[in-house]
Amino acid sequence: MNGFLLPGTNTKIFVFTILLSVLFYSGAATSSDSDHYQSEREKMVTEQIEKRGITDQKVLEAMRKTPRHLFVSQALRGRAYGDYPLAIGEGQTISQPYIVALMTESLRLSENDRVLEIGTGSGYQAAVLAEIVDEVYSIEIKEKLYENSLEVLQEAGYGEVKTRLGDGYFGWEEAAPFDAVMITAAVDHIPPPLLSQLKDGGRLILPLGNPFSYQNLTLVTRQGEDYSVKQVTGVLFVPMTGRALQ
Amino acid sequence: MTYSIVFLISLSSLGFQVLLTRVFAIGQWNHLSFMVISIALFGFGASGTFLSILDTRRKGWEKRLSTLEPLKIIVLLYSLTVVAAFMVLNKLPLDYFRLPIEPLQAVYLLLSYLILSVPFFLTGSVISIAFAAFYKSAGMVYFFTMSGSALGAIMPLLLIPFFEEGQLVILFALMPLVFLFVPPGKDMEPVNAKGILLMGAALAIAAIGFYIVFADNGRQVKIVPSPYKALSQMLKFPDTNIDRSVSGIRGRIDIVDSPYIRFAPGLSLKYHERLPKQWAVYQDADSPYIIYDIASSEDMEFAKHSLSFAGYMMAPQLSDVLVLQNTGGAAIVYAMAAEAENITLVEPHPELAKIVSESYFVDVVNSNPREFLAQCRQKYSVIHLESLGPSIPGTAALNQEYSLTVNAFINYLSRLQDNGVIIISGKLLLPPANTIRLYAAAYEALQYAGKKKPEDHMAMLRNWDNFTLIISDTPIKDSEPLTHFAQSMNFDLVYLPTLEKKQVNRFNQFEYPYYYEALQSLRDAYLAGTESRFFKQYVLDIAPQWDNRPYPNRFMKWSQLSELYQSTGSRFYGLLLSGEVVVTVVFVEALFVAFFLLGLPIIFISRGKPKPRAHHLVFFLGIGAGFMFTELYFIKQYIFLFGSPTISFTVVLSAIMIFSGIGGFISQKLNQTHLKWALICLSCLFIGFYLGFSIILETLLGLSTVSRYVTAFLILLPVGLLMGIPFSIGMRLLLETPMDRAYAWATNGCASVLTSIASAQVAISQGIPLIIILAAVAYFLALLGFVKVRGS
Repeated sequence: MNGFLLPGTNTKIFVFTILLSVLFYSGAATSSDSDHYQSEREKMVTEQIEKRGITDQKVLEAMRKTPRHLFVSQALRGRAYGDYPLAIGEGQTISQPYIVALMTESLRLSENDRVLEIGTGSGYQAAVLAEIVDEVYSIEIKEKLYENSLEVLQEAGYGEVKTRLGDGYFGWEEAAPFDAVMITAAVDHIPPPLLSQLKDGGRLILPLGNPFSYQNLTLVTRQGEDYSVKQVTGVLFVPMTGRALQ
Repeated sequence: MTYSIVFLISLSSLGFQVLLTRVFAIGQWNHLSFMVISIALFGFGASGTFLSILDTRRKGWEKRLSTLEPLKIIVLLYSLTVVAAFMVLNKLPLDYFRLPIEPLQAVYLLLSYLILSVPFFLTGSVISIAFAAFYKSAGMVYFFTMSGSALGAIMPLLLIPFFEEGQLVILFALMPLVFLFVPPGKDMEPVNAKGILLMGAALAIAAIGFYIVFADNGRQVKIVPSPYKALSQMLKFPDTNIDRSVSGIRGRIDIVDSPYIRFAPGLSLKYHERLPKQWAVYQDADSPYIIYDIASSEDMEFAKHSLSFAGYMMAPQLSDVLVLQNTGGAAIVYAMAAEAENITLVEPHPELAKIVSESYFVDVVNSNPREFLAQCRQKYSVIHLESLGPSIPGTAALNQEYSLTVNAFINYLSRLQDNGVIIISGKLLLPPANTIRLYAAAYEALQYAGKKKPEDHMAMLRNWDNFTLIISDTPIKDSEPLTHFAQSMNFDLVYLPTLEKKQVNRFNQFEYPYYYEALQSLRDAYLAGTESRFFKQYVLDIAPQWDNRPYPNRFMKWSQLSELYQSTGSRFYGLLLSGEVVVTVVFVEALFVAFFLLGLPIIFISRGKPKPRAHHLVFFLGIGAGFMFTELYFIKQYIFLFGSPTISFTVVLSAIMIFSGIGGFISQKLNQTHLKWALICLSCLFIGFYLGFSIILETLLGLSTVSRYVTAFLILLPVGLLMGIPFSIGMRLLLETPMDRAYAWATNGCASVLTSIASAQVAISQGIPLIIILAAVAYFLALLGFVKVRGS
């Protein structure tokens, strides 16, 4: 995934975070959740997320708890809490923290919800979801990313997240229906198989639009046999790959 | 010998100009013919300036430079610079659409402008030297340059089916090299060592040129489209290939096969079945046109779940359906899914028409839609126009489009059976722009057609990214089927004769019911007769377009720039709605270089020597501006006739060049009195065109293709003949020294540089007819200059 907010990005926070990372990160940080990382996370939530209008306490708490630095490579850990996406290999990235929070909040999740994520990537978004709901399913199409995320999720204590290597376009039929579905790669249409795997009242969020340009973060809600679509904000995600756009 | 090189280099230069419009159409978002002409004339003007300066330093330059050797060197440099300029342009990351958000693009634009002007500088030098050296036969020089140019304008049209655009550019660059191998005449010196050396150099350039053209099937000169164009983006997907490319004067098409093509505009979210296999045809690397592989009725099922199908439900019978697909490709499947008895599809691109006729069992007519409507007498139960526009809204701002004007809607209504409907499918833009403009165009066409309550004849629906406008011949009394269809497919109603706020913005929600509110306000404005105020106050230019200002995709309103800037979060993204920013930037850059060109010789002229006279300046500025305004006016008007900018460019340029060449030839025997009358006649003739040319154009559209081309060509006979007189007589009789002539050449070029760009902006903002009035004014100014010259 590669979520990045288009309008309203706080440049000062961006520059500030980069400077902080360069000045204070020694490279000797460990993978454990030290005070340093906890303080970075707190700052991330306060300055990047709350200030931009995220108010759902469950989401804020999940963002405070999830050790984002564990989901990026050693070399990038010093920048893990910056206000930007980071590369995770295979041409993919971990989304900007605000986008993770915004997408999560938009789904209006409850503890008992069953959520499907399309595009596991680093596993970070799945971990944030797992902090809020009981059941998280996540599909990744790239084998290397799938293996890495599986390992990291287990190491970080999110072993309950069910992951699968495969084409997310067709959803997870055996586990359906879902209360919520999240697509974390750009797509130019709303995949019909995912709509049909939504429960009545279920929500689907996705970056909808030109996969090589900008997209609109769009929330689709199912009400019986009807669907409503709501535009949230402009974003930039990497395209959905594999056979997913067929 | 000098005449032959004037002829050859003019031929090559004009061919290069025509091909550059194709290069820009594929690489960028528009053919930019105004910029191409401006570049060429900047080069010409610069050559005049250079020679004027040379005159201040070295007398007798015209005699020395008009001998064979210097001319051969200039020809060599010309060929070399055309090849180099084109190769650099193809590598330059120029994308004029990004100008509002990437200031560096202005530098790329200036760079491409300057680089491309170098070959034209050399062409201009040859012509200017010829005028200065053989001023007594200025008419002959004028004749050879114009006839060479005319042939150069036509040749790409004939050769483009056999070569790609980039290959042709190189081949045209090499053409003048033939001059180096022509044996000298009897009274000339035999070829010496220098001559042999020059021939060797010419052979080397030719060998390199041919290698570039033919090695690896011309891969090195393949035009690279902007990375933002739909074709460039599509090719980023795996397993995606261009199966076949076909170059033509109406545009290049690339047929693409990919498992990732999925096109179903306005498809309901409730449709969960798979779509039929599709492949795409890209026109000038954008505007995908989708072809569906329809094997059974099941493959067409998706069409019944799409927005535009609502229009077919409104038609009481489906006997004859006319489909016009500007871009898209789904409309034909809707008509087939609706089980229409007879389907006719009109497609202007010959290759695309062939592909469509091989793919579906329908009648395909290869014609421009307006031409087809002007000639056909049949009436249709449904006319479906699918016009999704380019892949990025705003990029088509400069494109002349005659299928969405009020006149076009009047045509559609006149070809509709009783109870018939017109369906317009398009892409949804926010803030509402195209939806309002199309509603207004339909409203005014219905008014014109004598409908008492136009507002009762229309309906509009949308989903999250598409809309469908339905225009009915009879008032829509029963809107229940539409309401039910929208509800069942989860589409939103935007407009119905009776529609309440609570019924809108339900399934595809925006923060506010923008589209509904905008159309309600417009309808109220029409009912109150205050629509002009509504259009004036709206943040974008959404007034309906008529054939005299056919830019339905242009929404920029310069007077509202600050408001637009603020409403888009104090960013210049709003300007992306306007492809016309390029016109302004090019104009500013050209203005700078034009002043530079005119000022430089004056600085260089030594004290005590006579400076160029103001009356001469006015005369040559006037005829330069007048010539260019006229050329641009006809190029733009003829797009209506031929449906293609490049064909229009070719017809107008070749006709004007031929006839003004003849005018120049005749002028050898004419005097200053004839010059005065030529200027008076031109001004009067142009006022006549302003008053009545639209009626002539409408009439021409009804003629057969051959008659249309011949008449259009002959209309330019009096214009070209008269326009050929002032420049050559002016050169011959009004000026005294070689420096005067070189400076007059520079002045003429500068005027043309600016007016070619200005006419693009005038057409977009004020309409095309005003350009010919400006031409009349320019020739009148030239007349005033001439009277003053004679008086002094």
